[in-house]
Amino acid sequence: MLGSSVEIRNVDKFFGDFQALDKVNLQIKRGEFFSLLGPSGCGKTTLLRIIAGLEYPDSGDVLFDGISVVSIPANKREANTIFQNYALFPHLTVFENIAFSLRLKKMSENEIREKVEKLINLVRLEGQENKKPIQLSGGQRQRVAIARALANEPKVLLLDEPVSALDAKLRQELLLELDNLHDQVGITFIYVTHDQAEAISVSDHVAVMNNGRIVQIGTPYEIYESPADRFVATFIGETNLMKAEVVDVNDEFIRVIAKGLGEFSCYKDKEVSKGDKILLTLRPEKIKISTKPLEGINSFHGVVEEEIYMGYQTKYFVRLDEGYILKIYKQHVNYLLDEKIIHWKDEVFVTWNPNDSFIVEVEKG
Amino acid sequence: MKYITAYTLWLVVFFVIPLIIILSFSFLEKTPYGGVNFSFSLEGYKSLLTIGYLRILWRTVWISIISTFITIIFALPTAYYIAKSKFKNFLLLLVVIPFWTNSLIRIYAWIFVLGNNGIINQFLKLIGLVDSHIQFLYNPWAVILVIVYTYLPYAIIPLYAAIERLDNSIFEAALDLGCSKRKAFFKVLIPNIKAGLVASIIFVLIPAMGSYAIPDLVGGVNSKMIGNEIARQLTTAKNWPAASAISSILTLITLLGVIIFVKSSKKEVLN
Amino acid sequence: MNPGKFSRLITFLILIFFYIPIFVVIMFSFNASKSPVWVGFSFMWYKELFTSSYTIWKAFLNSIIVAISASFVATVLGTLGAIGLYWGKFKGKDYIWIISYLPLIIPDIIIGVSLLIFFVFIKMKLSLLTIFIAHVTFSLPYALMIVFSRLQDFEYSIIEAAYDLGATEEIALFKVIVPISFPGILAAFFMSLTLSIDDFVITFFVAGPGSTTLPLKIYSMIRFGISPTINAISTLMLVGTIVMSIFMRKYLRYIF
Repeated sequence: MLGSSVEIRNVDKFFGDFQALDKVNLQIKRGEFFSLLGPSGCGKTTLLRIIAGLEYPDSGDVLFDGISVVSIPANKREANTIFQNYALFPHLTVFENIAFSLRLKKMSENEIREKVEKLINLVRLEGQENKKPIQLSGGQRQRVAIARALANEPKVLLLDEPVSALDAKLRQELLLELDNLHDQVGITFIYVTHDQAEAISVSDHVAVMNNGRIVQIGTPYEIYESPADRFVATFIGETNLMKAEVVDVNDEFIRVIAKGLGEFSCYKDKEVSKGDKILLTLRPEKIKISTKPLEGINSFHGVVEEEIYMGYQTKYFVRLDEGYILKIYKQHVNYLLDEKIIHWKDEVFVTWNPNDSFIVEVEKG
Repeated sequence: MKYITAYTLWLVVFFVIPLIIILSFSFLEKTPYGGVNFSFSLEGYKSLLTIGYLRILWRTVWISIISTFITIIFALPTAYYIAKSKFKNFLLLLVVIPFWTNSLIRIYAWIFVLGNNGIINQFLKLIGLVDSHIQFLYNPWAVILVIVYTYLPYAIIPLYAAIERLDNSIFEAALDLGCSKRKAFFKVLIPNIKAGLVASIIFVLIPAMGSYAIPDLVGGVNSKMIGNEIARQLTTAKNWPAASAISSILTLITLLGVIIFVKSSKKEVLN
Repeated sequence: MNPGKFSRLITFLILIFFYIPIFVVIMFSFNASKSPVWVGFSFMWYKELFTSSYTIWKAFLNSIIVAISASFVATVLGTLGAIGLYWGKFKGKDYIWIISYLPLIIPDIIIGVSLLIFFVFIKMKLSLLTIFIAHVTFSLPYALMIVFSRLQDFEYSIIEAAYDLGATEEIALFKVIVPISFPGILAAFFMSLTLSIDDFVITFFVAGPGSTTLPLKIYSMIRFGISPTINAISTLMLVGTIVMSIFMRKYLRYIF
């Protein structure tokens, strides 16, 4: 099977007065695993439905392999959807659910049998052929939905939060399976989710959406490490946001003063000049924490206000001397061998590399 | 849209238009042998403003309200018991069977038991307690008895559905918080089954208001209700405007009643 | 909270109240006397019912003809209506709900009277046809609501899934929507059947000479006085009801 490239050009969509999509532009490469990530109501599902043909854009264009498909209805479009609730046909068996589109194509009984069996093997549902959807577990239902959507040999597979109805452990497992399946079938996957962990763990590229707009497109690494704005920084993972004023600028670094922190250095990833007010993001796991003074340019002293033990790591809230509360994750590498376990009310030293903070907003001074 | 066209058209032609026709006819002049003259007249309504009519209207209202009240009083504990019972499917079936039974048969059963020639009177005569018979039927209370008998299943079923849906733990929480059983009934159960209660009351009150067969068969001359009067005006009196006028008023009363009732109960739920 | 002794007592009293008159009627259908004093067991009233009660059987036949035809039409139109209401995107759904709820709320006698005046007004002769029309009219909203409630068990995405997999509208209708709503359709049909066979008041107004249905016949017999033949009919109808209730139990949840 071969995937299609998908291009979205200037798509607008209104529901009454509500603008669900606002001038959306996207380019998805052939065979890619692409995620649309955003909070509920951001327009990601609407965009997916427009790609599927279940919804029509008010303006703009949708192209598969460079050819507009807007005028092609859902039942003729070479894209199939895995619905959030799977939408399996309750009156049909697993076999007949998967065979649904094949029967519509008037294939011979032998061809159908052969093809459905192949798909059943692909999604590992051997022996379940004659069960009705109601007799299956959540994970099995999802597999039927996948096999049913793949039966049509679509060039694009659209997945609308396909694992959100499952429990956490199963979710991880099926996500991995989806990733493997993508490698096997090689078609384009467009995956909608509100869960940032899902999106960054399986995708080649992620588009982060908010209020009907695409706010950032990039690899999971780019999205996480250098968020484009405050929304992306806070929506994906946890972070420390710091308001600061630029006091000095050189080629690579800037010096800033932030309320509650004091003066420190950061990497100049955006063009700023002296006197600008900026917003910085700093991921909690980038910060070192110790009871002993630490070497480093950005070094601060504070007290542990809150300590949340999470098994594989501990989350600390440290109130710095000047008042800012810094969120810090400490991984339990050789937990018991660590010099001293930090606890609530301990005095601590914290430091981070200036390269690890990013400027997300600039207000010219 | 196209799927619903036939349905809508059918109801418009055979339900909405006939309603509009009777509303219009109520403002027209009568002709002596049924039918109407197409000239405006309020005679249809004026003829209702007599003591006799007001009495029938009043009787219809009080018989319906008392019947509904009695029905709900008995339906509530029954629905509750069935909803919590181990044998609820079987008990529900026992309630549903009378619900599906032909209503005339249910009326007949009471005539057979309580009628002047009914088994009770025959028995009393046999043992010599009475000479001819005791008249149990043909009074408003007989009408109320049969209305209650007929509509009890209609009241039990929505109440049962409402109670069955309730999470049992809300009662446990109420009892745990020191509520007595009696208090839990009024403070926890009743407010939480309001929708079912409203449905039950509507299911009993409305058909009771429009009773025809029950007062006709087990009511006497002093227990005729509006339904009987509509039929009389239409068939023997041949006064179509009057029949239309009473029908319009009855329709209006039931609609207003339902709207006010549903709205007020909705408001309380929201509050 | 377990029900107390009070509610158990009331429930048993109510069930006794429900069934005593019915049992008495059944019992006396086997009485060997015309007067309601128990004389002895006999099938004589059934014999009379089956051998020399032509008008009752004629009425029964009329009832069956009307019930089956009216239920069929009401179920088809109601099912299509429910599908349209569930499936379609159009304005004015609220009005359709209003005209669907009104016939359930408005007393039967008003429906009967208004239809009678309507039929006379358009000069339509009162016959089995007018009874059929009336029965379709009062069954329609029930049929719509029952099928609609079944459809509501499924999310709309099931239709979209059919489209997405290449189905046309007809295929989605006949391969997906009708099969999944089938228990509802069946329930709607049986509900209409029961309503039709049971109806007295509306039929009373729209029936003409020669179009007597079973309830009309029973009504005129009751007016004439108590008779063991009525007991025998009642017993047979009760048996029919019980058989039907047991059969329909599976579908009851679409009715309430």
